[in-house]
Amino acid sequence: MTGKTQNADPPNEGTVAVGDKGRTAQPRVGGGSPAWRLDLLAVIPGLRWLVKRRWLQFAVVFPNLVFFYLFLIAGVFGSPVGNRNIIIIFVWILWWFLLITLMVPFASRVWCTVCPFPFFGEWLQRGALIGTRVGKPGVGRNRMFGLNLRWPKALSNIWLQNFGFLGLCTFSVALVTRPIVSVFVLGGLFVVATILHLVFRQRAFCNYVCPVSGFLSLYSMTSMLEVRSKEAEVCSKCADKGCLAGNESGWGCPWFMYPSRMDRNNYCGLCTECLKTCPYDNMTLRLRPFCSDTRIKGYDESWKAFIMLTLALAYSMTLLGPWATIKDWANASETGQWGGFALYAASLWMSALCILPGVFFGSVWLGRLLGGGAPKPLKDLFLGWSYTLVPLGLLAWIAFSFPLIFVNGSYIISVLSDPMGRGWDLLGTADFKWTPYHPELLAWIQVPLLGIGLFFALRTGYRFAQSRFGSTRSSILGFSPLAVLLTAIACGFLRLFVG
Amino acid sequence: MSRSELLRWGAGVLVVLASTVIGAWMPRASGPPQVRRIEVKARQYAYDPPTIEVNQGDTVRLKLTSQDVVHGFYLEAYDLQATIMPQSPYVEVSRPSRPEEKPEKLEEVEFVADRTGKFRYRCSHTCGTMHPFMSGELVVKPNRLLGGGVGAFAGMLIAGCLLACVLGNGSGEAAVANSGRSPHAIP
Repeated sequence: MTGKTQNADPPNEGTVAVGDKGRTAQPRVGGGSPAWRLDLLAVIPGLRWLVKRRWLQFAVVFPNLVFFYLFLIAGVFGSPVGNRNIIIIFVWILWWFLLITLMVPFASRVWCTVCPFPFFGEWLQRGALIGTRVGKPGVGRNRMFGLNLRWPKALSNIWLQNFGFLGLCTFSVALVTRPIVSVFVLGGLFVVATILHLVFRQRAFCNYVCPVSGFLSLYSMTSMLEVRSKEAEVCSKCADKGCLAGNESGWGCPWFMYPSRMDRNNYCGLCTECLKTCPYDNMTLRLRPFCSDTRIKGYDESWKAFIMLTLALAYSMTLLGPWATIKDWANASETGQWGGFALYAASLWMSALCILPGVFFGSVWLGRLLGGGAPKPLKDLFLGWSYTLVPLGLLAWIAFSFPLIFVNGSYIISVLSDPMGRGWDLLGTADFKWTPYHPELLAWIQVPLLGIGLFFALRTGYRFAQSRFGSTRSSILGFSPLAVLLTAIACGFLRLFVG
Repeated sequence: MSRSELLRWGAGVLVVLASTVIGAWMPRASGPPQVRRIEVKARQYAYDPPTIEVNQGDTVRLKLTSQDVVHGFYLEAYDLQATIMPQSPYVEVSRPSRPEEKPEKLEEVEFVADRTGKFRYRCSHTCGTMHPFMSGELVVKPNRLLGGGVGAFAGMLIAGCLLACVLGNGSGEAAVANSGRSPHAIP
């Protein structure tokens, strides 16, 4: 064992960095070889220093905010043709591609670190851009402005985000093709974020309202990056609890998390405040295997998985598919086919909220029947297995997103020179012709991506079955209906992409 | 990684590879090569027919027309691009790999479907708001990538079952629950 140790303390807190440069190991759901962890603050020179700088988040958010404003200006005053306007090309092609293919799988919710939406709200709430404040009134030990109300308990879940995202995506064709619609939606989110920061404490907007945050929370479970405490014992003996309540070094976790007990990525916005506030330097940033968080906590998260998978399918048909009728219905603001749009929207909502969950429930119910043994709570099986849709959904989204950049990526070069589509030529590339980049290779990328998604879905699903059914025979029988369903879904995507 | 784990992975990969090969081998073209003449009508933001199915080796002649505005026709993998003018019997055909060549005015676009699989034809001339998503599909049979993909996915299912049965469940009793979101009450 080269520097690896198996941690005997479940769950995944309490790993001790030993051996070669911070590599640790942890037990895995369903047993098997322990999963590794790599303490990035121990191995990357200067990273510990960097994440402890108070100016770090401001330094990454502010340039993003400037670009965001420029995009909004371009959206209002620039060309109404999407592929000639920087807001459409940079947000819905470049940003989306980077977010779903790189940030989420490899850097968790790093987008939340740099997101400009809460900039003004948080500034007003804290009364500081970089520094911290201690005192009353406020939250924990931090002095804060605004009403600082608690977010309603009934809404302390991601249902709002589920419905908000599904609602936005129902109008996705207008959103991703019309600059002015993008301005209204993105600008509107900016205003809502600012208002909510003044009314509710900390990042209530990000945690419970932001439609992007909802799917980031779900898919960050797969991510290879995590913020965790190094030693549970240090946290349990800590009297300061700066990560929770804040102190002179930083703000208490704005995401309503108790960082020292955090064991999933879902609601960690990677703001790095806990790394700054911990008096014992016990919080760290770690690299870990793909799909390390596997526990779905509630139906709101399960339904997010259903919604995201359905939307990946719907977008693949509407935007990438060749069917005129679906495009006309989805594009009703131009075609005027509002009856068709109603049918399209109803199908989308029914599929995401009822049909897919219904079929999924059926396979879980059948699996419980086939698995036999002592009766198992359906809710437990349903929630546990609904995680299988997370890697499958994420990889389906990644497979969907590659054509966006391969086919339409060349617009990035032309809009850089003419961001508003007004005939400018700032960098001499305005006339760069639309040039798909080897689109014939896309299928060869998409098939393995779907395969990876299916592999992780089957693996985590079977491991969960093992943990609930025990014997191999029961686990296989219990998981088989769902495994067939997952494979059928993957084949459905395959048919859309390469069939 | 222990030896048994290596063996397990190796066996799994073999099963998936075998089923991929079988899946890719199964699709067949539905007849001998022939000449196919197809009329493709372009309109905002789709083509009619949306999908063209041909066999490998077929000579495909496309009569391209536009029903509304100027559209493009970029066929991936076949180095073919055309500009379709409304109410014109001619299209301007060029090869994207040779931008220095002058486009030809032709009544029909002709190519031999020598590459198998699914290839999209896309509008290459900005035609409106949904222009980037205007596309159709050329399917050249036998579609071995689709067959191989389905084979690989089915192979994963089979490999998982077989390996679980042959090698047992190892340590299925240890279920580690990473227990939730732990929202907290601020003191």
